[in-house]
Amino acid sequence: MKVELRFSTERVSEPIISSVILQEKAQINILRAQVSEDGGRALLEVPDNQADEIVKAFRKLGAEVIVGKVIEILEDKCIECGHCITLCPVNAIFFEKDYSIGLDEQKCIQCGSCLDACPTRAIKLYGE
Amino acid sequence: MENIRTIEEINEKIRKGDVNVVTAEEMVELVREKGSTIAAKDVDVVTTGTFGAMCSSGAFLNFGHSDPPIKMENLTLNGVNTYHGNAAVDCYLGVTKMHPEKPFEYGGGHVLEDLVSGKEIELEAVGYGTDCYPRKYLKTIITLHDLNQAILCNPRNAYQRYATATNGRDEIIYTYMGKLLPNFGNATFSGSGSLSPLSKDPNYETIGLGTRIFLGGGIGYVIGEGTQHSPTNKFGTIMVKGDLGKMRPEFLKGAAFTRYGTSLYVGLGIPIPILNEGLAKKTGVSDEDLKTDVLDYGIARRDRPVLKETNYAELKSGKIVIDNKEVSVTPLSSIKKAREIANILKEWIEKAQFFLTAPVDRLSVDTICKPMKVVSRVPFVNEIMENAVTCNLDDNIDVLAKKIINNNVNHIAVIDDNGKLLGIVTSFDITKAIATGKKELEEIMTRNVITVYPEESVDTCATKLEKNNISALPVVNRSNELKGIITSEKISSLLGEIGLKDESRIKI
Repeated sequence: MKVELRFSTERVSEPIISSVILQEKAQINILRAQVSEDGGRALLEVPDNQADEIVKAFRKLGAEVIVGKVIEILEDKCIECGHCITLCPVNAIFFEKDYSIGLDEQKCIQCGSCLDACPTRAIKLYGE
Repeated sequence: MENIRTIEEINEKIRKGDVNVVTAEEMVELVREKGSTIAAKDVDVVTTGTFGAMCSSGAFLNFGHSDPPIKMENLTLNGVNTYHGNAAVDCYLGVTKMHPEKPFEYGGGHVLEDLVSGKEIELEAVGYGTDCYPRKYLKTIITLHDLNQAILCNPRNAYQRYATATNGRDEIIYTYMGKLLPNFGNATFSGSGSLSPLSKDPNYETIGLGTRIFLGGGIGYVIGEGTQHSPTNKFGTIMVKGDLGKMRPEFLKGAAFTRYGTSLYVGLGIPIPILNEGLAKKTGVSDEDLKTDVLDYGIARRDRPVLKETNYAELKSGKIVIDNKEVSVTPLSSIKKAREIANILKEWIEKAQFFLTAPVDRLSVDTICKPMKVVSRVPFVNEIMENAVTCNLDDNIDVLAKKIINNNVNHIAVIDDNGKLLGIVTSFDITKAIATGKKELEEIMTRNVITVYPEESVDTCATKLEKNNISALPVVNRSNELKGIITSEKISSLLGEIGLKDESRIKI
């Protein structure tokens, strides 16, 4: 399951992820991480059966945790051309049978490749 | 071919409510199952549809007069410049004109979408003041409702077919065909294939001047052949107009193509009366039968290299094979919307809300789109490249330093025994190596070299040099064999000679 973490600037230097890995004995895959002047954020893949505990552990250590929602396609803007499909490295976006755009949020790794390609700017990374 | 019905008879059936209308996709199935003779007997009208970015779109707007009146010399709508080289308060707003402070994000197409959505638009006008139009400045807020006329008038819409775009370069390119990944990493196509209006009446027997159509969710008309209409090679286009006031934002969408520009997605559908069996056959043509070429947009030339032929069935499958590689391909236009348009038009006709018109004049069938006549030509790489000074991987830094001095150059290309490019070394790299005590060529050479192909233009070279902040480009062929080198000194001297100036204000 995908989990997004947000840290405040004060917590950026704390080893929050490794603490949780050790504490929960969980195999956590870091898909994306970045630190900027307004704090840090990381996109993690966590084992489904430990997800609840892991989320609790992160929250306890002061991280904001967003579960499941990593990307959204704004329906009122999307014209369903499908250009994003060719740019997605993990096949998170696809055509349904009737040429509607399908989105598998769990596959998205927030690489952002589709964002600047969308001609109607209909794709947003969650929370941005 | 002998006609079996007339447009007047079809309109009479529409009036009576017993007209038989099918969409172009349904017609393909019908002709496949029952043949064109039966399809021609059964079907009165076939509806088509397309929804694609059509850069050659825009609108004539008339604002009425202010008091005191103004003769607008400069006019912006939501910050986007309009063309107003006609009467005092008329203008033409083109969809590709970009907002100078929001380039590649907001432009004329978005203003039109906002107008049609009923949003308020800021109008700012400057005039020079005349005896009859004394006002020199005006700023106001308008909506579509406040205008006298708002006429969508698109000089070139609804290409009969269009090429498929991919990118053979080793870097991402941003084009009007979208974002194209390196090394044929993806592909895009335009047009709706078997739903596409002009490909269903390829000889323009029923589509002509005066044909009533679905345009932007409202009613429009074909007002002649489009610019660049090229029927001889099946690249026909049409010029269309329609009342913006009757259109819907779902079928007119502003578009932004990163590092290319803005545009407008236009929904357009044309009803084709089945006057004879020939038209039943033509409207029954399937995606498999509609061919188009896959072009390498990585080569920024007028005639881009054709990589292969494909058809719309293959394109709609989502995968095409290029260079033995399976490449993900999707439309840049919307097939779902195209289908929706064909269905809406069908419904309008069935409900007697839309009647067919016979063209008052035909579109040309024997012309071709000519290239531009250019009197001073811009050179291409193979005409201006110089011989590159080269070395091998086992040459040491002393040898390289000598080569630089003896040949009076700043760049040395590193090649292997087969003449393939491995890297590049500059005089600065050598200086740095001496300063830091490095001896091996491998330690100092740049391996990820930016290159050009012999058939590319001097403009492409200038862009690559500037974008990458480098001073030379090795020239290689498709097999990465070194053919020469282009340096910034050479480009600068050439640009001086041919008087090329960078006049574009918007920087990518």
